Amino acid sequence: MIRDITIGQYYQVDSIIHRLDPRVKLLATLIYVVSLFVTNSPVGYAIAILFLVGCIALSKVPAKYVLKGLKSLVYILIFSATFILLFTGGEHIVFKYGIIKISREGIYNAIEMVVRLTLLLIGSSVMTLTTKPTDMADGLEKAFGFLKVIKVPVHEMAMMISIAFRFIPILVEETDKIMKAQIARGADFESGGLIKKAKGLIPLLVPLIISSIKRALDLATAMEARCYNGGEGRTKMKPLKYKKCDFVAYGVQVGYFVMIIVTNIVVKLVIKNVM
Amino acid sequence: MSIIKSENLVHKFSVTDENDNIIEENSALDGVNIEVEEGQFIAILGHNGSGKSTFARHINALLTPDEGTLYVNGWDTKDESKLWQIRQNAGMVFQNPDNQIIATVVEEDVGFGPENLGVPTEEIWDRVEKALKSVGMLEYRHSSPNKLSGGQKQRVAIAGVVAMKPKCIVLDEPTAMLDPNGRKEVLKTVKELNEKENVTVILITHYMNEVIDADKVFVMDKGKVVMEGTPREIFTNVEELKKLGLDVPQVTEVAHKLKGEGINLGDCVLSIKEFKEKYKQVTGKDIASLNIKESAKKYDLEEPSEIRDNKIVSLTNSDLDDNSKENHKKLILDAKKLTYIYEEGTANEKGALNDVSINIHEGEFLAIIGHTGSGKSTLIQHLNGLMRADSGTIYFNGEDIYAKEFSMPFLRKHVGLVFQYPEHQLFETTVLEDVCFGPKNLGLSKDEVLDAAKKALKQVGLGEKYYEKSPFELSGGEKRRVAIAGVLAMNPEVLILDEPTAGLDPKGRDKILNQLKKLQTERNIAIVLVSHSMEDVAKYAERLVVMSGGKKLYDGECREVFSHYKELEEIGLAAPQVTYLMAESGKTVMTVDEAVDILR
Repeated sequence: MIRDITIGQYYQVDSIIHRLDPRVKLLATLIYVVSLFVTNSPVGYAIAILFLVGCIALSKVPAKYVLKGLKSLVYILIFSATFILLFTGGEHIVFKYGIIKISREGIYNAIEMVVRLTLLLIGSSVMTLTTKPTDMADGLEKAFGFLKVIKVPVHEMAMMISIAFRFIPILVEETDKIMKAQIARGADFESGGLIKKAKGLIPLLVPLIISSIKRALDLATAMEARCYNGGEGRTKMKPLKYKKCDFVAYGVQVGYFVMIIVTNIVVKLVIKNVM
Repeated sequence: MSIIKSENLVHKFSVTDENDNIIEENSALDGVNIEVEEGQFIAILGHNGSGKSTFARHINALLTPDEGTLYVNGWDTKDESKLWQIRQNAGMVFQNPDNQIIATVVEEDVGFGPENLGVPTEEIWDRVEKALKSVGMLEYRHSSPNKLSGGQKQRVAIAGVVAMKPKCIVLDEPTAMLDPNGRKEVLKTVKELNEKENVTVILITHYMNEVIDADKVFVMDKGKVVMEGTPREIFTNVEELKKLGLDVPQVTEVAHKLKGEGINLGDCVLSIKEFKEKYKQVTGKDIASLNIKESAKKYDLEEPSEIRDNKIVSLTNSDLDDNSKENHKKLILDAKKLTYIYEEGTANEKGALNDVSINIHEGEFLAIIGHTGSGKSTLIQHLNGLMRADSGTIYFNGEDIYAKEFSMPFLRKHVGLVFQYPEHQLFETTVLEDVCFGPKNLGLSKDEVLDAAKKALKQVGLGEKYYEKSPFELSGGEKRRVAIAGVLAMNPEVLILDEPTAGLDPKGRDKILNQLKKLQTERNIAIVLVSHSMEDVAKYAERLVVMSGGKKLYDGECREVFSHYKELEEIGLAAPQVTYLMAESGKTVMTVDEAVDILR
């Protein structure tokens, strides 16, 4: 159950996408997210989907594995869709029951939201699936390095992110274990109302927090013992260097974004003309 | 020049109240004098809380002395300007393999130290490769640490230290959380580093058989060094070591006890080979020539066995009294042909079950052994319904637990399961309340709940003064007993424990096992013990189930299973040391006392 969460997990396979510089992928993710919010037409979404499908195909990560990450987020999707569906006002009422009104605009908006969120989630998980957390942290550190000038602890933050990623699977496993242990002691995490359920989480959360703190202390000690002393004077085993394919990828990204913008404009023009 | 030299080292832990006033001062180290020469293999022994880990942290300058001085490679650890040199030269490996690996790829983790030292990129690659080679993990360089076994993770941690080119490595109980195979791996690696690369090794442990090859052993107790000398000198004092809550290897104990019987094999015997030679010298008898009539024929070890060809062998021997008695006992759990396959691609692909049948009778003491990934953890989770088999059935008191109307909470009340490191599941503010959690969930009345909790605490040897304590201020062994009481309070008929002694020192281990035995004999609770320790199994269990590769390999009386020690070895397990010692005698011996009886 809890193991199904693939967001933030790295999928090891050798592909062109995996080999790209993390900075390239960071920018690509950013561009992609922005493009999703800029797009206003089915054509635009079609392009966005095609682009994503292309990336996934190139990344050699099985599509099934990518989609598995969505499973755990289905509820959030359903929730937001229902919300929009019910609370979007509009002229064309399709369905009415008591105070519940569903308009055609509501349906469009809900569909758009689901598509947008789904693409956003898949898009960002393609990034995490193909980039080792440490590379990603490196990328972030380099990309935001200019912030060091105004005393932002960029290195430390990057280190924190990469360590957080390292511990996700360990904590997931631990949660699973503690949950089972408490179930064996008769705990019930499933039934009951919201308050009872929330209360029921205490036997799970307290041990989890305690063990996380203990792990954090252990890890800090281990890092100190290995001479970790912040970013000053550190060298890199794998310094980031742009390769030819990275520049190509930058080009592709820009191309994609231009295409989205152009589609937008074209669609707008077409609609104007038709009206 | 000595690489490590401590002079009257004192370290105090102070307990303060809210206003930062010191209420209590405890000396974790109380005048420690230890000197280590370069290239030595040093072992530091001591029970949990004896101060050995605190000392280790001083060597790495993670802690600094309150009194006295500690020199590492000639530098005073109090001198802050030398801090990084000290840490680079005295690398440290910790107990928990998960909590010391920083990176998500093996080679990057090994590179972490050199990166911190500011080593140029090219050289880092060079060092990483050499370090991984020296611990035999080069082929895993691109792997994720999460996919490695405990022993492999520790070897990566060692490589991470080696890559910093230290003169000395301090290992703080590196094997405490590992299974026997992992332990062997790590120990071999450490020894090789010491011999081939001439790295000084300081090994902190409470496994006695790990220190036999050390150049020098220090034994610590209450923050002081109470014994020092070669392993031979140390192990001469069997009684004293036991008083300190430590153990000696079984052969050493047999020799020691024989001395009391008038057969003097010399001061100290450390290996089986040595024992046999000395025994021959002194008594003129070979162990092989000892004529043991009763069972020599029954378990002829030389007989070519067909066990390997048969997948499951039931060794239940009808002409043994013990077993026929067993048959009259009420059958509580009866699992038939359980098969469980993990979803493909998950980290747990190993550890599946393949056609496993097992039964548990009222009041018996059953042990399940098998290496990591053999399916034993999966099996026990089936027995109380936490996992559901893909095929097969389990009957609890004759009822099918997979039937629709069967209540799982009912099963879990009667079949208690204590996970590994159960102290990690404690969460309440007081010991008593935590133990109450189980019975409360059963819907008992308040008085009944308290009653059950108090009774359970008493049974694990924790009296009234513990009731109001926070579980988190207790020692490791005490915490574990609280956690066991938490399950016991539900009043189960079967109590399953997954390695209840992992990480405990010998004293803590014996305490828990004795209490389990008592529960079995006095309350007639069936105990199912999952263990890695053959010595413990031989001493306490009546019946033994051996798991390997998701299958049940053996199921029978302990002695009979151990008579197949050669087959056990093939699957990475072993019999107790005394079994090997006495193997030539033709009798399968399981405990020290039995061996003494025969040899006398």
